[in-house]
Amino acid sequence: MSLLARARAASRWLLASWRRVLGTALILIVAGLAGITLFAWIGVYNVAASTGHFHVVDLFLRFGMENSVKTRAPGTTLPSQDDEDTVRLGAGHFHGGCAYCHGSPGTPVSPVAASMLPPPPDLKDKVGLWRDGELFWIVKHGLKYAGMPGWPVLQREDEVWALVAFLRRLPMLDREAYRALAMGEVADESQTGAELAAGRGTSDSVEACARCHGLKEAPRSQLVPILQGQPEAMLADALRAYAAGERDSGVMQTAVSGLSERLISRLAAFYSDLPRPSLRSTLPPERAMLDRGEGLAREGVPSRGIPACMNCHGPDGLPTYPKLAGQPARYLEGRLQAWRTGLNGRNATGVIMAPIARRLSPRQAADLAAFFASLPPGAGRNDRVER
Amino acid sequence: MMTRILSCCTLAALALTGCNELQSALAPRGDEARRVALLTWILFAGAAAILFAVGGALALAIAGPCRWRRALGGERAIRLGGIAFPMVTLTILLGYGVWLMRETIASDRPAALRVEITGEQWWWRVAYADQGGIRLSEANEIRIPVGREIDLVLRSADVIHSFWVPSLGGKLDMIPGRTNTLRLRADRPGIYRGQCAEYCGGPHALMALEVVALPEAEFAAWLRSAGPQPSAPASIGERRGSELFQAAGCGACHAIRGTEAAGTIGPDLSRVGQRRFLAAATIPNTPENLARFIAKGQSLKPGNAMPEFRVFSEEELQVLTAYLGSLK
Repeated sequence: MSLLARARAASRWLLASWRRVLGTALILIVAGLAGITLFAWIGVYNVAASTGHFHVVDLFLRFGMENSVKTRAPGTTLPSQDDEDTVRLGAGHFHGGCAYCHGSPGTPVSPVAASMLPPPPDLKDKVGLWRDGELFWIVKHGLKYAGMPGWPVLQREDEVWALVAFLRRLPMLDREAYRALAMGEVADESQTGAELAAGRGTSDSVEACARCHGLKEAPRSQLVPILQGQPEAMLADALRAYAAGERDSGVMQTAVSGLSERLISRLAAFYSDLPRPSLRSTLPPERAMLDRGEGLAREGVPSRGIPACMNCHGPDGLPTYPKLAGQPARYLEGRLQAWRTGLNGRNATGVIMAPIARRLSPRQAADLAAFFASLPPGAGRNDRVER
Repeated sequence: MMTRILSCCTLAALALTGCNELQSALAPRGDEARRVALLTWILFAGAAAILFAVGGALALAIAGPCRWRRALGGERAIRLGGIAFPMVTLTILLGYGVWLMRETIASDRPAALRVEITGEQWWWRVAYADQGGIRLSEANEIRIPVGREIDLVLRSADVIHSFWVPSLGGKLDMIPGRTNTLRLRADRPGIYRGQCAEYCGGPHALMALEVVALPEAEFAAWLRSAGPQPSAPASIGERRGSELFQAAGCGACHAIRGTEAAGTIGPDLSRVGQRRFLAAATIPNTPENLARFIAKGQSLKPGNAMPEFRVFSEEELQVLTAYLGSLK
């Protein structure tokens, strides 16, 4: 009997009944699982990152990743590529959270990161290959098996979009332009050799608050609050809440997570003592908006359970409450929006503010933000505002 | 069978222990409540008599003499007992009830005092009104003079509530957009507890109140003593407490007469130290309970509208409660 004839006979016997077909399938599955287990058990597979993948495996993994991202990414596009506030916020976080692995204009990928498998790509050449929604999806969720982490606070999609806005700008940046964007007033590289050797005065560190919040100058992004001159207790509480994960921000949790209690107190005292810079000028809001905001801030809406903001946020408020006069309107509106979407309601002050913010309509929030931004820093409960 | 009857009796006896003088329709302490109680007893007695008669008729219909069984099985018995009797009885009862309640529904006599009570989620706003406008704001505790007719003007700020102080009168709903008036009179001095009697969301079960009936002279003195200026904080701790009260923004929701605090969102605290209970008559007014309500109010009265103020230290809570306790 020839081999072919024998195989034909065997398959005829197998297919003769459903029972035999199912039994054979079961035996094959069990044998396959046993084989895979054995493969992993005896350690024959080399997990070394140093050896890389076979070219075909690499192609296959990339193929799978690209299709997965394309399938899952939202169709949304970036609202505006020229929104400098979001680009600057994104740049600040990129420098603290992403540049170590991906490098930045003028600074190559670190050798440690470059030895990962797969090595993190230099994003200059890569961002152009993805749509806005795809970039957003990758930044928000990260990539399995690639070492690319997801956003620390998934609900803060506004922060993810800020990073995407920066990524769109990235290919156009040289070293100087990048440093100006990501580090602002602390971008100079005038440290002495001794300072560098001791690790002091390096504005590159993740914790360098001034990159985003400024020192002598106000923050360059209207999405970032002015810390100079805020009450020390409030600053320390905010830092503690970020460090404990009780306040929801991927950007701030990343920046603060390494700070000890002692450093938090010192940092809070330092920023509290800094003289208050003046707010960067923006387009003045319309008069009616300011009037509505002022009415809300001073009187509240008792019938809707909205208390007057000034009772807590004026100059006489507790040192654990922030002073809102002169804060950027976009930042204030974003904070109120975050409460309305259920974020930030876990730390001691967030618990108080969350239910109040939830009672505000989006228009009321915008009016209030515009009004407080228009106040000179330190303005009081009964100060009249000149307009 | 015997054990089942016994356990039912035990349960009924346990339920009876819930009846006390503080909050009971069976212990009337005013005209209005007495009328409700009288009607209740008439209904109970009548219902018992009818139950007895129906039981007897049933027994006769099953095992009585032939003549009785024929009479009960006929159409005439149904016409008489099933249609005529209920119509006559219920009409008489309705007439009697309306006649009995005529004082409550519409009285010609002017009331000695008008108290405006507004149901809010989940507390009672109380205002003593006179011709010249509102004289005095209070919350959750209503003081009235004994022996005088009081008009309670009932309104709601949000959803339907129902005002019911069983020892003083029947219940009356507080309906958004409507004003209902309830006339009450307390016969003797004492404390009468009431409760919101219409489900109004979340902590509805923790929305109670107390009516404190005082001898007339005492009541007048109490009303007079509510001047625009509260007594100045006596001790250093109380003064610190008053400063903390302002700085923490408490005044955005709560009012204290004669201070900057003029909020109208929450209960008026001008005399909070005088109240017997906190959180709408749910926990005794002690410094410890006050501190707990400020810092962990959501665990005491889940869902209440005041956010927890965990920002205060133990020491700060102490001076704050000392200050609030001194407001009398």
